[in-house]
Amino acid sequence: MFTKRTTTKLIAAALVFAAFDYWIWHSLRDSFRKISDESRFKEIALFARAAPEDLSLVDGWLATLPDILPGSRAAFFLAGADGSVLDLSAAEDSVRAFWEAHSSEEAYARGLESAYYLEPYMVSGGAAIDFGDEKGPTSVGVYFAPIPDESGFNVRGAIMVMAPGIGAARFETLLLTLCLLAWAIFTVLYGVSVLSRDPVTGYGVIILFALALLFVAYPLFESVRLTFMKDGAFSLETWKTTFSSRYLVSLWGSVRLGIWTASFSTLIGFACAFLIERTSVGGKKFISTLATMPVISPPFSLTLSIILLFGNNGLITRRLLNLHDFSIYGIGGLVLVQTIGMFPIAFLTLSSVLKSIDSTVEDAALDLRASRPWTFLTITLPLAMPGVLSAWLLVFTNSLADFANPLLLAGSYRVLSVDSYIEVTGRNNLGGGAALSLLLLLPSLTAFFAQRYWVNRKSFVTVTGKPSTRLTELASPPVRIALTVFVGLCLAFIVALYGTIVAGCFVKNWGIDYSFTLANIGEALSRGAKAIRDTVILSAIAAPIAGFLAMAAALLIVRKSFVAKRLLEGFLMTPFAVPGTLVGISYVLAFNKPPFLLVGTAAIIAITYVIRELPVGLETGSASLRQIDPAIEEAAQDLGADVPTVFRTIVLPLLRPAFISTMSYTFVRSMTAVSAIIFLISARWYHLTVQIYNFSENLRFGLASVLATALIIIVLVAFGVMRLLVRDEGLTEKTVSM
Amino acid sequence: MTKSSVSVTLSGVTKRFRNTKGRADTVAVHESDFVVAAGELVTLLGPSGCGKTTTLRMIAGFELPSAGRILIGSEDVTMLPPNKRDTATVFQSYGLFPHMSVADNVAYGLKLRKLPKEEIVRKVGETLKLVGLADYGDRAPGKLSGGQQQRVALARSLIVEPSVLLLDEPLSNLDALLREQMRVEIRRIQKSLGITAVYVTHDRVEAMSLSDRVIVMKDGEIKQIGTPSEIYEDPVSTFVAGFVGKVAFFPAEVTGGGPGDWECRLEGKSVRAARAAPGIGIGNSAVFMARPESLRLAESGEGVLEGRVRMNVYLGHSMECYVETKYGEVLVQIDDPISKRVYPEGGAVSVDFDHDRVRLLPTG
Repeated sequence: MFTKRTTTKLIAAALVFAAFDYWIWHSLRDSFRKISDESRFKEIALFARAAPEDLSLVDGWLATLPDILPGSRAAFFLAGADGSVLDLSAAEDSVRAFWEAHSSEEAYARGLESAYYLEPYMVSGGAAIDFGDEKGPTSVGVYFAPIPDESGFNVRGAIMVMAPGIGAARFETLLLTLCLLAWAIFTVLYGVSVLSRDPVTGYGVIILFALALLFVAYPLFESVRLTFMKDGAFSLETWKTTFSSRYLVSLWGSVRLGIWTASFSTLIGFACAFLIERTSVGGKKFISTLATMPVISPPFSLTLSIILLFGNNGLITRRLLNLHDFSIYGIGGLVLVQTIGMFPIAFLTLSSVLKSIDSTVEDAALDLRASRPWTFLTITLPLAMPGVLSAWLLVFTNSLADFANPLLLAGSYRVLSVDSYIEVTGRNNLGGGAALSLLLLLPSLTAFFAQRYWVNRKSFVTVTGKPSTRLTELASPPVRIALTVFVGLCLAFIVALYGTIVAGCFVKNWGIDYSFTLANIGEALSRGAKAIRDTVILSAIAAPIAGFLAMAAALLIVRKSFVAKRLLEGFLMTPFAVPGTLVGISYVLAFNKPPFLLVGTAAIIAITYVIRELPVGLETGSASLRQIDPAIEEAAQDLGADVPTVFRTIVLPLLRPAFISTMSYTFVRSMTAVSAIIFLISARWYHLTVQIYNFSENLRFGLASVLATALIIIVLVAFGVMRLLVRDEGLTEKTVSM
Repeated sequence: MTKSSVSVTLSGVTKRFRNTKGRADTVAVHESDFVVAAGELVTLLGPSGCGKTTTLRMIAGFELPSAGRILIGSEDVTMLPPNKRDTATVFQSYGLFPHMSVADNVAYGLKLRKLPKEEIVRKVGETLKLVGLADYGDRAPGKLSGGQQQRVALARSLIVEPSVLLLDEPLSNLDALLREQMRVEIRRIQKSLGITAVYVTHDRVEAMSLSDRVIVMKDGEIKQIGTPSEIYEDPVSTFVAGFVGKVAFFPAEVTGGGPGDWECRLEGKSVRAARAAPGIGIGNSAVFMARPESLRLAESGEGVLEGRVRMNVYLGHSMECYVETKYGEVLVQIDDPISKRVYPEGGAVSVDFDHDRVRLLPTG
């Protein structure tokens, strides 16, 4: 890499470009100055022509100068018949004082003289003058201009104008920054192409690092930094408040909720997984599809139907059972909703774990005269334990980060995610909100790392080898029936919940007037049209970007080696472990000031989508790549393809399934995002889930139901399309056996 | 061939793999120096882990040497990425593109070189015919047998007319019969095209039957370079001798004589040996190397080494006689057994040497 030849090349190129850059900057700056000076002179000349004949009006006229040239002042010189200075009028003492101080200087004398010869004159270098206002010394350009009389050939007087070049200074700074930036970019790009054997990889790595630093490291850093500031100075105030009992209650609230949800979800998930993988129950595909449904459902929909059914005016609690004291709000309702929403995660994890435990070991135990329950307890369960722990931790992390459900259903039960939201939107305390979200990061990161690095390592399943195609009937008929009933009830309940949402679309005023109406649909779709459109557009933009970036990152990380590879991977995977509220708050903090003023734009929403889903895409892409025989890519290179061509002709086609699933996953998750988005929406770009929340908060449940149903339909269509496009998954599997 | 073939030169090529876990670095290849002449097929032969594949990959450009230079023709390609070198590799696992048909696989390299479509079609047809897969253009690679896949891989590499053809154990995934057939095919095509080739294998039969010269490697170092007959008849060490064929070793002491006619002591008897590896001198202890075909059986007491026949294996054109001696079991090959005396199993015999064929090797 760093040989004498390449380093010399780089230094030489950098110097040459620097010289070229300097020349450009210099010329541009000078032309700009010339042009701005010329326009200045024109304005001053025009102003000078308007000088009144009557000397008493001069002061008034001078005072109008700031209207033309903001921030400027002038002095008026009256000429005598012989050209000598007779009088000096100035609107302000500071100007007069200035003249008196400088009148003897050559430049100024020449300036006045020049004016008397009908030539405008600019004092080079300008000057600094304190106008006496609070601004302090301002640097100004000093101009002398003649005041011609009617004939145009004689001079009545002259003016000296002092005009600050605020705009000019800003432009010059911008120009300088751009030129320096151009040089820096050129040097880096050229350096990469000369020093590395594989420049395209170099560029790719640099781009990814830039993205990771800008959109992951910087916002997090900013939010941490801000929690240590108050009124512009270092302060531990924010953290003291955060660690007060008030918020520690919320922390415990989040953790307690997480524990309950994770435990119930793992239980139900395990029951479903066991039923499908270890018994001969019928309709397995049906059960497994139903069990995965809640994954794709929008955040408020389950909460909505729970409220519709069990809320204060709920169909079941009020109408059917006539309870008046029962409140679904609080931890009970939350555990219910979260469990329903998150048990699919446990189910998917556990069913893949059970699938990969070879039934032969259970057969062996049964063969040795162990009873079925004993086999389960001593063989199946211990082998599945790492998976059980994994599932528990995954659901726990998800529950901690959950924002949408507690927002509607928590009641007086406090959780950190909602508290941080209230802190930001209600009390306008961004620092406090950030601190609370960071607090939430503690249990969240612990669980994430525990799952990834401790539980994963202890997995036994790989040892048992190829999964057998037969399954062992591990449950006696009574047990199987009991399980089926249990799972059936759960799933029926879920179906009922979804049914409620759909029903809610057609009910005029839930809880009060159950008459059928189609008016809700019309009203919701028209009021929510902008939200629907914005959300679909931005999700559709984010999806291919996330897909492409994830595949490129996977390729670089899996197949290439470069400096700080683990660090880049860490950066890109971090958003997965970070709660959505923290992402939203840090983005608001990081991007609400120049040069990265992105808050309120569509860009920041799309970027949030991409960054949040990149980790999963990266994992999917990496897994896919690892299955592709490296010899295939090497063969392409060997035949003459450079890295981008290999990517385009070989890797991308083989990554198609991973690419498409990342795209659809991004689309779906972006459509149903809440916790990060709620801080970033604006009047210009709105989001469907927030609209649903607004309707719910205003008790317009009918409208909320319509939008929730619309969202579910859009998501299902997206999934359907993906299923169609990824039908030929067999391609990558074949390469493994080659 | 429209191009004239080029040589491949490695000088001082070393490959070190850095160990990040506190252990010592692995030196996969240590100071390799050799030249493959234009049009020659040279085989890198050795046991697993000897560095032969690493060396090949360095020639192809998939690994960067830690030190040394690699020249293809007169061009220094040491630092060039693989797509800029005029080499083509046939991989052990073939690396066929699963999402393209056989014809598209073979055409890939030509499409990169932006040849006109008609010419590509023509060349693909010719090359497929060359490897015997004329009608297989539209098939998917996954639907081919191992031997067919191997030939597609070969076609794909040959069609771009590389200066150097590199083959990384291309036959190891095939069954024995196919291996033999393909071995002949590859050599025939290579010779007819006159293309310079480097072949990697751990199978000595492949190496001996294919190569113009063989480079025997062990633990990252080149142990011997020579033609198949040189390696077989005149190995320089016991490792090389044992790796390229069946051999028996006996400790001996050199007592006299000189190059061409050495006198040694073995079993208290004086034995003559016509050949010796470099470094053998009077007074050294050495190892007597005898291939099965350079041993004879004689009546007990008449030969050099006493023993007992454990087993006779009749192979038709020859007979293998396993004799237990104090130095372990020795294999004696008896050609044209019908005309020779058969010593029964369990009987006592003595083993005698054909002193023109046996060789002295340094110990160790």
